[in-house]
Amino acid sequence: MVARKKDKVMTLVDAVQLIHDGDIIALQGMGTQMSPLALVREIIRSRKRDLTVVMVVGGIGLDWMIAAGCVRRVLAIIVNLDEFGMANAFRRAVEAGEIEMEEYTEHQLLSRLSAGSKGLPFLVTRSGLGADLINIHPETTKIIECPFTGQKVIACRALEPDVAILHAHRADLYGNVQFFPKPIWTDVDVFPRAAKKVIVTVEEIVENEEIRRTPIHTGIPYFKVDAVVEVPYGAHPCSLYPNYSFDRVLFQEYATMSRTVEGTRQFLDKYILEPASHAEYLQRVGGAEALLRIRKWS
Amino acid sequence: MTHCAEDYTIDELMVVTLARQFTNDDIILNGTVSFIPVAAILLARETHAPGLTWVAGAVGVDAQPGYLMGNTLDPTMWKNCVMYLPQWEDMWSYVHRGTLETFCIRGAQIDKYGNVNNTVIGDYYHPKVRLPGSAGMGDMGSLDKRIFIWSTTHNRRTFVERVDFLGCVGYLDGGDSRERLGLKNGPQLVVTDLGVMDFEPESKRMRLKSVHRGVTVEHLREQTGFELIIPDEVPETPPPTEREIHLLRDVIDPRGMRKLEFRGAGKRASNEK
Repeated sequence: MVARKKDKVMTLVDAVQLIHDGDIIALQGMGTQMSPLALVREIIRSRKRDLTVVMVVGGIGLDWMIAAGCVRRVLAIIVNLDEFGMANAFRRAVEAGEIEMEEYTEHQLLSRLSAGSKGLPFLVTRSGLGADLINIHPETTKIIECPFTGQKVIACRALEPDVAILHAHRADLYGNVQFFPKPIWTDVDVFPRAAKKVIVTVEEIVENEEIRRTPIHTGIPYFKVDAVVEVPYGAHPCSLYPNYSFDRVLFQEYATMSRTVEGTRQFLDKYILEPASHAEYLQRVGGAEALLRIRKWS
Repeated sequence: MTHCAEDYTIDELMVVTLARQFTNDDIILNGTVSFIPVAAILLARETHAPGLTWVAGAVGVDAQPGYLMGNTLDPTMWKNCVMYLPQWEDMWSYVHRGTLETFCIRGAQIDKYGNVNNTVIGDYYHPKVRLPGSAGMGDMGSLDKRIFIWSTTHNRRTFVERVDFLGCVGYLDGGDSRERLGLKNGPQLVVTDLGVMDFEPESKRMRLKSVHRGVTVEHLREQTGFELIIPDEVPETPPPTEREIHLLRDVIDPRGMRKLEFRGAGKRASNEK
């Protein structure tokens, strides 16, 4: 699908209207890095349901969405909070049979998305040969023989998410999205190309001329982007290198509170459901003091 | 002159033991929550293997972060690198072809053939415990890597007869079963909080190599949920040198991030921020 060159700037509230119940969402992010979490909080506030969430490394945003009842299925290679420990809502929901986890190796999942991005039926990999993972999703991974050499490889079926959601450093109003120092992680690279729609939140919206002066930083061109939302600190509590670090205080608070269902609910109320806006959220997490803290890398 | 340290802890011994496995020719990339391997990489570079190539967080080529900071996939680890490796095209190409050949892993379950599980305890669809997932080791087990396994929980829950779910391929069913699948290399060494194991070349069964100071062979055997191959003579794991301990404590990991990997470590070793 082609997004035309036009003004795509909108609010978080408007942007989530592009997401529908039952959609497959490709959510950018690592355990503690670079994830569009302001948008995730808006998805939770708008009470989306039955989402399938695709992540390479599932983290805190996914755990919140699961706790809030937005998620039916997860496709990922791992779900945790890095050194802050288990993603407790994820663990509880899978153990209770409330959600399904479709685990892949990283290269299997990326091959599925990359096939989707190229309009190919599948791509092949050797990753995971001999392991149990391929047996749990026979609909999407299958051992085949190379037609030339007979070598056994795994075919990974194309995956085209309905919407990719990402957070980046800056963009212009058309949706030319820039990353600093440059686009690096796989989700920034493969997710937007594979998805049918793309929503990007950014730290700041800049002039088109500024993008033209620095095209080396542009990772996604305007014709793949459907919505741009300006959200300073939009990855919080995850980091956006080199702008700000992850918020250790909030991560630790969530890791502790999410040990119980009740604690998780209290956390969601306090930080996601009660704040009426992103600005109110930033106040709740400690305001200027917290933002100064995460701007100091160590 | 090298002086052996008298005063050292298990985490330090594990880092030093792992570091001594790495050579100048190694090109190593690290995964998530890998403080012990990353400390070992930095230590090897400061001592016997200055030419070792480290791809920090699988992104920062030959990075020089100075010391261990946040987590091991964080961009802070990329400091002073020579290149930010684009993940999809570059990193995965080098991993598939075997240019990046060495990887360190750990998991909730490890069996006698070095197969590792970090996916579920029990049945996949109705798990007793849902674990985080295989992440990169699911890839690396099948992509011809020289694999170093570390574990801070050497007990019968971790060291099991057979993994509940085969997430990272080791020597499969032993013998030549890995080779028959066309997979090269495989697990090289297992470094735990009790000792060091390798794999017997023919059967590919795990074999005790050394026990740490103060650990008896009998105790290690009791803490292992399968029958280890135990040679007649089992030496003590060579201790760290005073220099290694100084580098580790004062230069590479002054915040003690490596201690986060031990059960009961509780809060972050460094939470002053």
